[in-house]
Amino acid sequence: MDPLIGMGALALMGAAATIAGASEDLESDIGSQSNPNSQVQLAPQMSYPHRIYNKAISGEPPSNALMCTIGGTVAYVMLNFNVSVVLALTIGSLVAAMVHGTYATTAYMGRCSSQKRFKQMVYLDVLRSHTPPIMGYSFITTFTILVVSYIMVTVFAHPFPLPLLAFIWGITVGAIGSSTGDVHYGAEREFQDVEFGSGLNTANSGKIVRKAESGLRSSMDNSWFCAKFGGPVTGIAFGMTVFLSGWITTVFDPSKGPAAGWESVIAGALIILVMIIYNRKMEVSARKEFGPYKEDKEEAA
Amino acid sequence: MIDIAGLIAENIIYVLLITLGGVLVSVSVHFVPVGGAPAAMAQACGIGTGTVQLAAGAGLTGLVTAGAMMGVTDNIGLVLASGTVGGMIMIAVTMIVGNWVYFYGVGCPAASAKVKYDPITKDRQDLYISQGTEGHAIPTVSFVSGVIGAGLGGLGGGLVYYALLKIGEVASGLTVKDIMSTTGHELVGLASIFAVGIFFMNAVIPSYNIGGTIEGFHDPKFKRWPRAAITSLVVTFLCAILAVVTLGGM
Repeated sequence: MDPLIGMGALALMGAAATIAGASEDLESDIGSQSNPNSQVQLAPQMSYPHRIYNKAISGEPPSNALMCTIGGTVAYVMLNFNVSVVLALTIGSLVAAMVHGTYATTAYMGRCSSQKRFKQMVYLDVLRSHTPPIMGYSFITTFTILVVSYIMVTVFAHPFPLPLLAFIWGITVGAIGSSTGDVHYGAEREFQDVEFGSGLNTANSGKIVRKAESGLRSSMDNSWFCAKFGGPVTGIAFGMTVFLSGWITTVFDPSKGPAAGWESVIAGALIILVMIIYNRKMEVSARKEFGPYKEDKEEAA
Repeated sequence: MIDIAGLIAENIIYVLLITLGGVLVSVSVHFVPVGGAPAAMAQACGIGTGTVQLAAGAGLTGLVTAGAMMGVTDNIGLVLASGTVGGMIMIAVTMIVGNWVYFYGVGCPAASAKVKYDPITKDRQDLYISQGTEGHAIPTVSFVSGVIGAGLGGLGGGLVYYALLKIGEVASGLTVKDIMSTTGHELVGLASIFAVGIFFMNAVIPSYNIGGTIEGFHDPKFKRWPRAAITSLVVTFLCAILAVVTLGGM
């Protein structure tokens, strides 16, 4: 393959993956999925009933993998019937978004109604206003993941079938979103009333913030807040993963011979080394900037 | 009727390779610093997600890169190395961005609660743990441990996929090159799904050792890895036999 075309396709994949990462994280913030939802689930039991959307269908990776696999399978079947690519990917994503919306609705109804004894309400206006954006975000995530998988299959001739690639990237985007952007929602947005940088004291578990910048807080406000940092950085993380893992084999094409293959492995190892060093620099600067939480007793004595 | 004993005897080397790959995945999960739900609230040290999820995310990225490499060459060294590098890149990026969120979004420095001094950088840890938490973010020792873990996971996943395709090659009488030249060959689909299945199974087994959170190779829980390795040795061996019968009998 012409290296320039390869780099162009790779750049498109990276851009699609960046959008996928950002929309995945915002979908999980607005629907309150994954680990931070443990606090939303706990809140009514701590006498903190709330208007936060509470779904957590499953862990984020399986949930996204399901969405992307449904989308990938529908698109794959349609492509075999010679339907145009854009239409096939769009219809596939639409079906996935509808399935996801169904799960979100039943999860919200089930989770909230099971907490009746803690005086948690089922807010129908929350259900009506939040479910369409959840489906919208899941549509964007599925569509962009399908774009990434489709380019891999057609341009880069990846041997895996389209639905399987969509499944794997679904798992990966979920794992990345759950590890990066969700922390911004769980550790910062849900506990904005405690001092910045104090982490979450176990004693404060479940005592989530329920007041918004104006009025009562709903998950729309959480999505607005996380779109400023958590969402974009998740996009960068997933975009970088897709881009860098493809970049090394596009620049040093292993089909030209084993020597180029080994060069690609060395390039990957160098990238990892640079990241370890960068992480260390960042760790040192954060320690210096924030300082310790407590005094050194040994030194004081 | 398929001659099962004959098939297994013919492919015994690949059965052993699949088993080794499974054990590698199982051991690799112990290296990955997962803090589970508490870490997502900056309440525990490590990456804020579940064990299986993260290990699978990293390992499967390795599988994608190993699969891409196997599409152009059947050099086992290259396939395994690219699987290793793919997994490592995914986890390194995730941990870097995770640390961005902890440092700039949440305002917590990295600190481990399991050791007083970071074994690699010798930095003091206990003073940087905020009240009522078990540490937060990903200190250097956990970062390095995570990179090693994801590398081993990608290596294991790549090894399983390589061995599975080789079984298919023997059974169908085609070379890997022939298989790859046909788009969406059924052997590739079957081998990759088996590889994903074996990967998931071996990512789940260590979760019982880890019990939600582990900080990396310096964590006392890490010493329990032989138990998971033995379990996964038995289970993957059985799966490998099943794979040989399924792929070999095609």
